[in-house]
Amino acid sequence: MSERLYYIELAKQGLVMPIGTDLVLQECVDPEAVLNDGEALGKVVADSARRWRSPLAVPLMDLRVEKEALALALGADADAHETYHIDKPVDSQTLTRVMAQITRSPTVRMRATCDGIRYVAGINGLVPIGMCIGPFSFVTKLLADPIMPVFMAGAGSTAEDDPDVALFESVLSLGEKVILAYVQMQIEAGAKAIVVCEPAANIHYLSPKQLEAGADTFERYVMQTNKRLKALLDKHDVDLIFHNCGELTDDMVRRFGELDPAIISLGSSRVLWEDSKLLPDDIVMYGNLPSKRFYSDDAVSPEQVAAMSSELVAKMAEVGRPYILGTECDVLSVKGAEQTIRGKVRVMMGCGAASGCRCAG
Amino acid sequence: MDLSELTQAVVNGKRNDAVAGTTAALEAGTEPSTVLDALIAGMEEIGRRWKANEVFVPEVLIAARAMKEAMDVLEPSLIEGGVKPEATMVIGTVKGDLHDIGKNLVAMMWKGANIQVHDAGTNVSPQDFVKAIQESGAKVVGLSALLTTTMPAMKETVEAIRAAGLNDVKIIVGGAPVTQAYADEIGADGYAADAVTAVDKARELIAG
Repeated sequence: MSERLYYIELAKQGLVMPIGTDLVLQECVDPEAVLNDGEALGKVVADSARRWRSPLAVPLMDLRVEKEALALALGADADAHETYHIDKPVDSQTLTRVMAQITRSPTVRMRATCDGIRYVAGINGLVPIGMCIGPFSFVTKLLADPIMPVFMAGAGSTAEDDPDVALFESVLSLGEKVILAYVQMQIEAGAKAIVVCEPAANIHYLSPKQLEAGADTFERYVMQTNKRLKALLDKHDVDLIFHNCGELTDDMVRRFGELDPAIISLGSSRVLWEDSKLLPDDIVMYGNLPSKRFYSDDAVSPEQVAAMSSELVAKMAEVGRPYILGTECDVLSVKGAEQTIRGKVRVMMGCGAASGCRCAG
Repeated sequence: MDLSELTQAVVNGKRNDAVAGTTAALEAGTEPSTVLDALIAGMEEIGRRWKANEVFVPEVLIAARAMKEAMDVLEPSLIEGGVKPEATMVIGTVKGDLHDIGKNLVAMMWKGANIQVHDAGTNVSPQDFVKAIQESGAKVVGLSALLTTTMPAMKETVEAIRAAGLNDVKIIVGGAPVTQAYADEIGADGYAADAVTAVDKARELIAG
């Protein structure tokens, strides 16, 4: 834990910020080219932090980077990595080869992300932050059917007696190694915190009914893998920012608190001031305006954004939780709705405690 | 034979029991359509429990798998007996979107309601939706999107379907960011907030 008090202090100062790097990226002439250019990407991340008047230089929440690297290393076509699925357990020889390729020859996107972190690290006053997909969420992107084997494992099936469970556990192990390698690269590039995005560790992939009945899949597949990731961060004195915008049970939130993140970011389905009771006092909570619905005034109006912001700031102050008002996820630019979305981000930005909470609500 | 056991096998996701029960019922001379009704009843019950938050997506999937394996046994008898699906429908995730859980759930629930489903997959272009509808003769199409960034593709798909002259085809949209208001805005015929509602909505639209 390197900068725990720093984040708490930021929260106390009334920091308000969206996860809004994509909004700045989409203002570039050629956003796709920026993704492959470390310095340009670093500038976008730095510009985004300045735009939101935050020292936290949050990178793009792009959860495709690791999959591209792994799929290419496993031989997928360059234009087909997004739809690539692993269909058989990975043997040790392949594992060694894949890891060697990823660590020795990271993809263009991986290199650009790391170069972007280096760029930000060279700017005074900004905290360079890295990003990775969580191990459980990664495996859900790598398998055609990730839900069934998790359920079967929860029902008592093992890798020895169920090929689907064997495949899941093999890919989970491989995915974790890829993530650890990528995080290591970002730390070496200068990241002082890593955002771990684990949105698939939710009630749709892990049945609460089965977990309540005693299944250990959440512990084995989510917690243990993330604890190993946290251990890597601790080893390098790098902070964990844990993000999960999925639908969660109270127990899932409580368990995520055991990962000891500096900041936890949750989705809009959660009531943050109630979740505060589930988490240790020194974890800063972030969120959780429904930014996935910002595209439409019918879905959520600017007045509602103001009212929700006001309520969040007030209720989080009431429970005494260090809190940063923000969005439930990265705010993506939607074609045709750009101004609608930006307008709501502006409303949110005007609603922080530091700004005197100018909201109408 | 007690077909309620077959229904329970589906509800509990016991695929071996569902297959054995289907086989035994057919061997005992039970009408294929009666066996089908017992299986559909299982999926309806699991849908009810899901809507009541008594079960979750994994339990629905496991029930759907039991239903599918029982249907593999039952289907030849249904064809022989002239029992046809209620309707044919196309489903897919719109262009630019690779998410498939919601789409798969709806497809499974539709299949469980005796609807023939043509699954067009993920990242489906408007033109490919049109082609799938034309080739399958579907009267209903389901469009799924998980990302706000891919919702415009939903609008483009609705426009492409109408531009192709498929004005009788009913369009249902759904997905995390989608709302009834958005469905209305882009000219879809229906909005389903979840897979169970998608069954009700499809039946409602078929009935006209």
